[in-house]
Amino acid sequence: MNILLLAPILAPLTAAVLAALMGWRRLSASVTVLAALSVLISGAAIGLRVGDGAQFGVGRLLRADALSVTMLVVIGTVGTLATWASVGYINAELAHGHTDRKGANLYGMLVPVFLAAMALAVLANNIGVMWVAIEATTVATAFLVGHRRTRASLEATWKYVVICSVGIALAFLGTVLLYFASLHAGASSSNALDFDVLLTHAAQLDPAVTRLAAGLLLLGYGAKAGLVPFHTWLADAHSQSPAPVSALMSGVLLSVAFSALLRVKAVVDLALGTGFLRIGLLIVGLLTMLVAASLLVVQTDFKRMLAYSSMENMGLVAVAAAAGTKLAIAALLLHVLAHGIGKALVFLAAGQLQAAHDSTAIDDVTALLARSRLVGTAFAVGLVVLLGLPPFAMFASELSISRALAGAHLEWALAVALLLMVIAFAALVLNGARMLLGPPDESSPPIAVPRSVAGALITGVILSVVLGLTAGPLTHLFHTAATLLGAAE
Amino acid sequence: MSALGGAAAALQVVGVLAGAPLVVGGMRQVRARLEGRTGGGIAQPWRDLRKQLRKQQITPRGTTVVFALAPAVVAGSTLLIAAIVPLIALGSPLDSVADLFGVVGLLFLGTVALTLAGLDTGTAFGGMGSSREITIAALVEPTILLAVFALSVPGHSANLAAIVTGTTHNPGQVLTPGSLLAFVALIIVIIAETGRLPVDNPTTHLELTMIHEAMILEYAGPKLALVEWASAMRLTVLLALVANLFLPWGIAGADPSLLTIVLGVAAITIKVVVLASLLAAGEVFIAKLRLFRVPELLAGSFLLALLAVTASYVLAASN
Amino acid sequence: MTQTTYTGALDLAAGAFLLAAVLIVWRRELRAIVRLLAWQGTALAAIPLIEGVQQRDAALITVGVIVLLLKALALPVLLGRVVGTEVGERRESTPLVNTTASLLITAGLTVLAYAVTRPIIALDPTAATRAVPASFAVILIAIFVMVSRRRALSQAVGFLMLDNGIAATAFLITAGVPLIVELGASLDALFAVLVLGVLTGRMRRAFGDTDLDQLRELRD
Repeated sequence: MNILLLAPILAPLTAAVLAALMGWRRLSASVTVLAALSVLISGAAIGLRVGDGAQFGVGRLLRADALSVTMLVVIGTVGTLATWASVGYINAELAHGHTDRKGANLYGMLVPVFLAAMALAVLANNIGVMWVAIEATTVATAFLVGHRRTRASLEATWKYVVICSVGIALAFLGTVLLYFASLHAGASSSNALDFDVLLTHAAQLDPAVTRLAAGLLLLGYGAKAGLVPFHTWLADAHSQSPAPVSALMSGVLLSVAFSALLRVKAVVDLALGTGFLRIGLLIVGLLTMLVAASLLVVQTDFKRMLAYSSMENMGLVAVAAAAGTKLAIAALLLHVLAHGIGKALVFLAAGQLQAAHDSTAIDDVTALLARSRLVGTAFAVGLVVLLGLPPFAMFASELSISRALAGAHLEWALAVALLLMVIAFAALVLNGARMLLGPPDESSPPIAVPRSVAGALITGVILSVVLGLTAGPLTHLFHTAATLLGAAE
Repeated sequence: MSALGGAAAALQVVGVLAGAPLVVGGMRQVRARLEGRTGGGIAQPWRDLRKQLRKQQITPRGTTVVFALAPAVVAGSTLLIAAIVPLIALGSPLDSVADLFGVVGLLFLGTVALTLAGLDTGTAFGGMGSSREITIAALVEPTILLAVFALSVPGHSANLAAIVTGTTHNPGQVLTPGSLLAFVALIIVIIAETGRLPVDNPTTHLELTMIHEAMILEYAGPKLALVEWASAMRLTVLLALVANLFLPWGIAGADPSLLTIVLGVAAITIKVVVLASLLAAGEVFIAKLRLFRVPELLAGSFLLALLAVTASYVLAASN
Repeated sequence: MTQTTYTGALDLAAGAFLLAAVLIVWRRELRAIVRLLAWQGTALAAIPLIEGVQQRDAALITVGVIVLLLKALALPVLLGRVVGTEVGERRESTPLVNTTASLLITAGLTVLAYAVTRPIIALDPTAATRAVPASFAVILIAIFVMVSRRRALSQAVGFLMLDNGIAATAFLITAGVPLIVELGASLDALFAVLVLGVLTGRMRRAFGDTDLDQLRELRD
């Protein structure tokens, strides 16, 4: 079990060491792809071993339960797609002179470190270690966001580092306060921050201190998840970073941060009752959706548009978590997986568009479907996934979230959320149609697609279709995770 | 309250009346010597007062009773403070009103009287000086309240005599963070309240840089003498108060004898002289702050006083 | 050491800690602010050292020494080196909120910190937890500094002050979190500062100086 638990963390770290030693080469890049794939495979293996309960490894430092398996699947899938596409993407950037050897080497080293940190964050049993891992993702992605060394990317990096560091510092304060409360609830100092210990002692946690801690943790991890009020870094960072990194950040990192919040919620709900975080998540989630929907309407840059779509989806995920029922949490996890794959698909396609047009303005791109069957179809499929249309999985997840909200007597929140989703839907459709449809113009540049990017795009499309048709064994996994998080019926 | 206690209080008033110009003269002398000048001697302010008192009384046309009464109000309030606060002995007959709010109220009464007089003259400089003075007073008064309040927290009483007694019995209190912060805040406040550098230059003759001088620009003759005297008395009383709040040793008790009173006079004289000399020496090295930076300094001292209060509360709660 | 000495020493350390934060808000020159940060790091390191001596806990004393080396020496030296390369821009330009208002806001934040931390003191009324309002006030002041400054370095100083405040709170209420978390947190702080330092250098090369008002290309 220990090996299975350590594999998702050590495999990407090994790839990082190899990339640091060799620089950006075909071998190191391929090893990174294999590492991401091994995250997925070990996640599946752990899932089969763990079943309905939870198992520990490395002396109760790591924890395997349905939630960590789910998140490993997300990290593994999107990670494989992104690292596979990175091979062709970075080689193309090197060829066109958008980056140099040093930049490529740094990229090759930082991406697997990023993956390892995310894997540690979802596997950690001690919420302090979970915090360290999430902070490590900020440090690892800082220079990935600034990969291109332009003024705009420098600005994005600064905002990202500063705002996320402030947020994560607040989360640390919340963690410390929770440790304090846990010590006074009778836990011993060596394992007072362990998730299972916190769950058992939750009823004795001092309510006032826990409330303060929960508020800080909501703000802090919400900052990493792109929720209001620390959301201002999201559009800049996700739009300025290279496409595979945007895919990873939008598709996975936001959800990993939110899964940390889910773990905290499990403890806080037992200590304070569901009311406190329900209200907090509702306010934060609905405000995030409002900000995202309003800004989606005025977008002129397609990467920023996709970033705001991520923010909108994270807001919806927060609202679903506020509902807190088993159906809500299970739907939320399906939503996270489907969104991850769909967002990765559309960002990878957008990366090729950016490489071809050397700009990310929506007005510069037309007749995509006619010009490139592969990129056009991939972009279209990804967009349809994000719009939540059948037969793709996000339709099912959004429908389930709506049912869960109604079942939890949050009809008014459902109404507001649906309204905002419609606004976002309209904005995405309008911009998407402008980019995809129309007669091709002679002067538009050709869209070259490196082989690995093509492979990633095709795999992404297939995965989205498959996930849409059936969630298969994953349904049971999501429901187990919901039960483990203490969700009510 | 004994007869000797009443005598001590009367002695405080006389002492302040007689000694204030000497304190100002001493400060000027210290400055002069440090700047390499001979200086006019310690008794120079007395000679200036004598000269002013013999001049003709001139009142500007258009001023009202406010202008006429202001010097008396300032001098009277300061003398009342001198009678109340524990300078030589603790058992003043007015001890029951010797609490923090009373003293601060009297200080503010003096400030307001002079400010209104400045406005009453109807000249541009008078109004300018008054508005600047009130800006400073607005930040200074809360700071004095907070700083002395911080000192009163350990003893649970705002009575000044009680605070001084508490410090005498418990010398370690002076070194606590609350006390130290209150000291710094009070020094800044005294500098601002009495118009010394770096807030206001008492020897300036450039009207645009004046604060205190601009308000009293229209006074001449005996009234000017009274105003100058009152300013000197305010400085003396405030310095003596701060000295006794933080270094109260030597002060006579609530039931003083002749010997302790003499000791008390000697002690307070030494403390005031030392404090005034240090202040004057410091002034040699500081330049006047630009006017818009003065609120920064005062806001900073207000913050220090607030921190002093919170620090005192923390310490008091722990004990 | 006796209980009163312990309380007094802890009180003095927490008071100096808060005073350093107040002076950082007051002063505007970058060199002065970095020096004040070093003093604040010393006051911060004093807290686990005092606790360690009181409880005769060698681990706490070790942690105190590490914190002293890191936060009073290494990080300010790193920042100082970045300040040193600023040419003629040593002074902070007028902050977004003028100094008087900043100081009054700081006073308000201190009072707010006292109000917010009452449940913590109520749960565990020892001498150490009674000093928590000071460290909490530093956290609030640090966030205010980050929001109201224009220079990249001042924001970095604000961030380090935030980190100091949280570390102080951790030391005061629990005598430190488990070692592994403390180690991770310190390493992350170190890396964050390195990142900020490198970014400041890049910013100077790209924009000419490090005035954050120049970062306005990305907006909707």
